[in-house]
Amino acid sequence: MAGLVAILAAVLVGRPTLELGGPELAPTPAAQGRCDLQPRAQDGAPAEWHEFYFTRAAYSSYRRGWGRRGGAWATDYPKADRQFLTVLRRLTNLDAFECENAVLLDDPRLRRYPFLYALEVGYMDLSQPEIEGLRDYLAAGGTLIIDDFWGTREWLQFEYQMSLVLPGRPIVDLPIDHPLFSAFYEIDEVLQVPAFRRGYYGGDYSERDGFVPYVKGIMDDDGRLMVVINWNTDLGDAWEWAEQPTYPLDRSTFAYQMGVNMIVYAMSH
Amino acid sequence: MSGVFEFLFKYRAVLFEEGELTFLSPWPTAVAGLVAVAVAVPAVVSYAMARGRSGVADRVVLGVLRGALFLLLFAALMQPALVLTSVVPQRNFLAVLVDDSKSMTIADRDGSSRADKAITLLEPEDGVLARLSERFALRYFRYGSSSSRMSGPEELTFGGSNTRIGRALGYARDELQGVPLSGIVVVSDGGDNSDEPIGKALLPLRAASVPVFAVGLGDEEADADVQVSRVDAPAKSLVGSTLPVNVLVEARGYGGRTATIVVEDMGRIVAEEEVTLPRDGQPLVTPVAVVLEAEGARELSFRVAGQQGERVLENNELRTVVQVRDRTEKILYFEGEPRHEVAFLLRAIEDDTGVQVVLLQRTAENKFLRRNLDDPLELVGGFPATREEMYGYRALILGSIEASFFTHDQLEMIAEFVGERGGTLMMLGGRRAFSEGGYKGTPLEDVLPVILEEPDGSTPTERQVFVKVAPTAAGALHPATRIASTVEASAARWDSLPPVSTTNLVVGLKPGATEFLAGTVVSGAGPSADRVVSAFQRYGRGRSIVLAVQDTWLWQMDATVPLEDQSHETFWRQMLRWIVAEVPDPVEASAERLSVEAGEPATVTATVADAGFVEVNGAAVTARITTPAGEVKELPMEWSVEEDGQYAATFVPESDGIFEVAVDAAGRDSTVFGSARTSVRAAPSTEEFRDPRQRRGLLQRMADETGGRYYTMETVDGLAEDLRFAGGGVTVREERDLWDMPIVFFLLAGLLASEWAYRRRRGLA
Repeated sequence: MAGLVAILAAVLVGRPTLELGGPELAPTPAAQGRCDLQPRAQDGAPAEWHEFYFTRAAYSSYRRGWGRRGGAWATDYPKADRQFLTVLRRLTNLDAFECENAVLLDDPRLRRYPFLYALEVGYMDLSQPEIEGLRDYLAAGGTLIIDDFWGTREWLQFEYQMSLVLPGRPIVDLPIDHPLFSAFYEIDEVLQVPAFRRGYYGGDYSERDGFVPYVKGIMDDDGRLMVVINWNTDLGDAWEWAEQPTYPLDRSTFAYQMGVNMIVYAMSH
Repeated sequence: MSGVFEFLFKYRAVLFEEGELTFLSPWPTAVAGLVAVAVAVPAVVSYAMARGRSGVADRVVLGVLRGALFLLLFAALMQPALVLTSVVPQRNFLAVLVDDSKSMTIADRDGSSRADKAITLLEPEDGVLARLSERFALRYFRYGSSSSRMSGPEELTFGGSNTRIGRALGYARDELQGVPLSGIVVVSDGGDNSDEPIGKALLPLRAASVPVFAVGLGDEEADADVQVSRVDAPAKSLVGSTLPVNVLVEARGYGGRTATIVVEDMGRIVAEEEVTLPRDGQPLVTPVAVVLEAEGARELSFRVAGQQGERVLENNELRTVVQVRDRTEKILYFEGEPRHEVAFLLRAIEDDTGVQVVLLQRTAENKFLRRNLDDPLELVGGFPATREEMYGYRALILGSIEASFFTHDQLEMIAEFVGERGGTLMMLGGRRAFSEGGYKGTPLEDVLPVILEEPDGSTPTERQVFVKVAPTAAGALHPATRIASTVEASAARWDSLPPVSTTNLVVGLKPGATEFLAGTVVSGAGPSADRVVSAFQRYGRGRSIVLAVQDTWLWQMDATVPLEDQSHETFWRQMLRWIVAEVPDPVEASAERLSVEAGEPATVTATVADAGFVEVNGAAVTARITTPAGEVKELPMEWSVEEDGQYAATFVPESDGIFEVAVDAAGRDSTVFGSARTSVRAAPSTEEFRDPRQRRGLLQRMADETGGRYYTMETVDGLAEDLRFAGGGVTVREERDLWDMPIVFFLLAGLLASEWAYRRRRGLA
């Protein structure tokens, strides 16, 4: 009963909850059984020790996404995470936990996972504890990857949220010769990765007025890349739907390459 | 006591020790014996036959008393004598060695200095030593750092900065070679700060039967005093490195008081350490963290301020020289997989210009990420395959990389990198490290300071535990693991850090290894035995270190660690600087003694090796010496012959100051092996004031081992007579009558009185 009240309250005020559900919860057969055995992230640390946990930021948003109870943060969750982890484990010798790991921004346990992924940030509406939690996370050495937000309106919302988290820190374009693009794969062009339906049906990959994909970043005083921002692109959808034969191969390949590069970069710089 | 003895026995005890007892009576012993019997028997018989009121016991007592009386008289009539070997007047020489060092200026409790006392002894008119001239030809010597003849006490300056008593004895013996030498009189406080054992100097004197008569000056129990007795500091350091310095402080009479060790770099205070002064006889070793920011030869002073009532202040300070180098030391970090530890480690030392961590990280099978390279082609072929390539680094960090990645030759090369090149191997914890990485049975098993357990086939999750890390006693003081300015602050910081995890079962130290950090298991599925977190050992010319945990990044990242906390950065900076600190270059230079006095010879040595660290003997090696005035002198360095690759040159600093020495080594075919720097400090030594007490033990030993005697100012009056009979040289036999010793008269009177008293008591009178 208490859980129900909590979920209801969270839905009404846009607070994130780590309860799952929705049509996109279709884990890969390999991961399905194992991940079901894992306790929920909010119950404690993952039951298995691994070097790397693909950690997803569960944040407050003013829109809950497409009917999913988890809110904007849970878009593509957890199928994209699991599928990406399956490929990541094959491509690299990174000892990665094969299941999703969602953590609230104001949860002190966040500081145990130096790599953090957040998407749909055009709807981000952080509470003060979340702002402080994320600010401290980044200052302590964490790396945040931003994905799947499109166009000027969502940019402005994200930019505003970041100005609350990291006041005064400029957002800069990352040139193609930045070490991020050669940390594992040699990437010489930033491709626009479409959402599943646009990729499936073909045509224009862009959404709203987000015609040109960008990879931007926010640095700390020492020049360390704290935040990597993938704007006007949707890497997560490519990870989630790469197995679909109609999804454009060059885009899903790029999405996986960018994902691997961002992780290897964050773990070596 | 000796006065009583002399009164009773007519002569001093030493004469009885030196001489032989004999009887001068012309009567043969047998005849004398018969006469004694002839006298004694009737006496005994008459006592035995006496009757009256006396009982048997009375007759026995009286008989014994009377018998003893007769025997004493008989012994006296036999003319007992002491036969002595006496030196012939004016036929023998006597060396008088006077300590001319600074310590003689120390004032004793009676207000006069040791120098004053020595001069009193040497007074030409009535000095004890001067009186020896009646019997001996005296030859005076003075000694300090060096020894020389002197004509009289007026030549004494008491300015010697060192005391080399052994050399002085040898010098005097050599100077008086070929003349009859009765002995050597040493007037000293016993201070000796030479490196040579005194036994070596005494052996020839014993062989030549030349006794040493030592006159000890100075209080044997010193006043309250604090002294900096020793400073152990590395000869070289990097700019900005924390210098691991141990300062030994001793104190008498100030136990429990608080004092401050002040460290100055050329007059600028660079460190202060508060200490509680130790109790008498308990030396206190205090680690002091010193950071030197300026390049070159730096003269460091370690000083404890004078305490209330302390008289000898010269021993409160000690100086040393450290060669500070401004260069970047290269470390190769080979990591077998992407790990957060890599990123956090590199960030921690990012601003440190003293070390360059070249990263080679395996990100997939046969795929490597390289960072912080000097050259785009560096490590392009992966892990070094040749010694020349490997030996270009000063330390190697192995992360989570399995032993089977390497060829056997590469594993042997890593072992030789430590054992022969003198590099440092550091192994980090990880699922592919230690025995979990298959290192048991490989050449690296010997190199590591910990015991590799048998792998049990468990998964990392089954083995993983979180450990609370705390410095051991050694680690608390060590610069690599001391993460705050004081030991207490460092301990508090360690205590505040969150537990970190390990999947390696590292629990046993090898004999001779030193543990810095220990881990107590606080959670996790693995065995609960306490873990060795960090330990090191020497291996050949180099060192190996382990850090058997896998996520020290939690000391930076965890929510319990304040954002401003610098523990993680400090730990890694200090650890990495420490692991490269003592790693040798192909060419190394050092001064035999860091500090000499102006005018004393200073020897500089150099070891020369090629890029593969094979010693080179035929090299052209030169030492360029820059004097404090800026003059440059060039000296060729000669191969020592005794050791491969070792060269030496000696020069004499003519003034006080720092003499910087740059050594260049090249092959005959113009191959440049490298260059190195060292320095020599020329300054008056304060050695003389270390422990200002009289060192009676040394003086006593010199006398005992050569058949001489030890004297104080109170007993020195007997020296002249003792020398007459105990000295060597040209001697004659001399007989001294003993029958007229007062003790004989007292015994005779005593025996008669006893007999009379006994008779009175028993009513037999």
